[in-house]
Amino acid sequence: MLDLAIGIILGGCALGAGCAMIAGIGPGIGEGNAVAKACEAIGRQPECRSAVTTTMLMGCAVAETTGLYALVIAILLIFVAPGRFVKILLDAVK
Amino acid sequence: MGNVDPTVKRETIYIASFVVILSMLMEAVFLIIGKWDYTVLLGNILGAAVAVGNFFFMGITLQKSLQKGDEERSSFVKLSYTYRTLAIVISALVGFLCPVFNGYAVVIPLFFPRIAIFLKPFVDKNYKREEGDNSIVEE
Repeated sequence: MLDLAIGIILGGCALGAGCAMIAGIGPGIGEGNAVAKACEAIGRQPECRSAVTTTMLMGCAVAETTGLYALVIAILLIFVAPGRFVKILLDAVK
Repeated sequence: MGNVDPTVKRETIYIASFVVILSMLMEAVFLIIGKWDYTVLLGNILGAAVAVGNFFFMGITLQKSLQKGDEERSSFVKLSYTYRTLAIVISALVGFLCPVFNGYAVVIPLFFPRIAIFLKPFVDKNYKREEGDNSIVEE
């Protein structure tokens, strides 16, 4: 029974990590759109190239942070959470 | 390095300098809470290098994507994002699995560029918002 509980904890953590990484899809799509729009803007006003590039760079970096949050949550769920949850379970059983 | 856009170079230097400052702050916090050892320093160096490298390669990608065609552009950026995320995942795994690195010290510096961007309007006088306009402009 204890093995089953530990298995459920590990499975749940892995499933949660996988679900968290769904958030990694968004930044890729967002960056692609941002670059497309920035190219349009530079095409319309080539003299604003430097300003548009700076804003695009910063925007893309901000967009990427969302993916990083998801990544960190996933890593914590894989490496840190199972040990803590199993310890809580074993303490409760004792 | 010769064909790097001056904007990319400038912003990377800005981000790198902030990452260094915030890394020192993080080291100080680890010292204060009594958890500092050499693994924190090594983890911090790895995390900071990955954070700055990720930003720099993103800049290079965006610079190159401006010279590409409409259809190619979006997929090029997405591909670059996938590779960079993979690099971050590998570095985070190395940080958590190798005993010479403190996992938390590897992961925390990855968020320093976000803080640097948040502070940019306060630090950079040329990067401000015009009144009544939501666009960020450079003078």
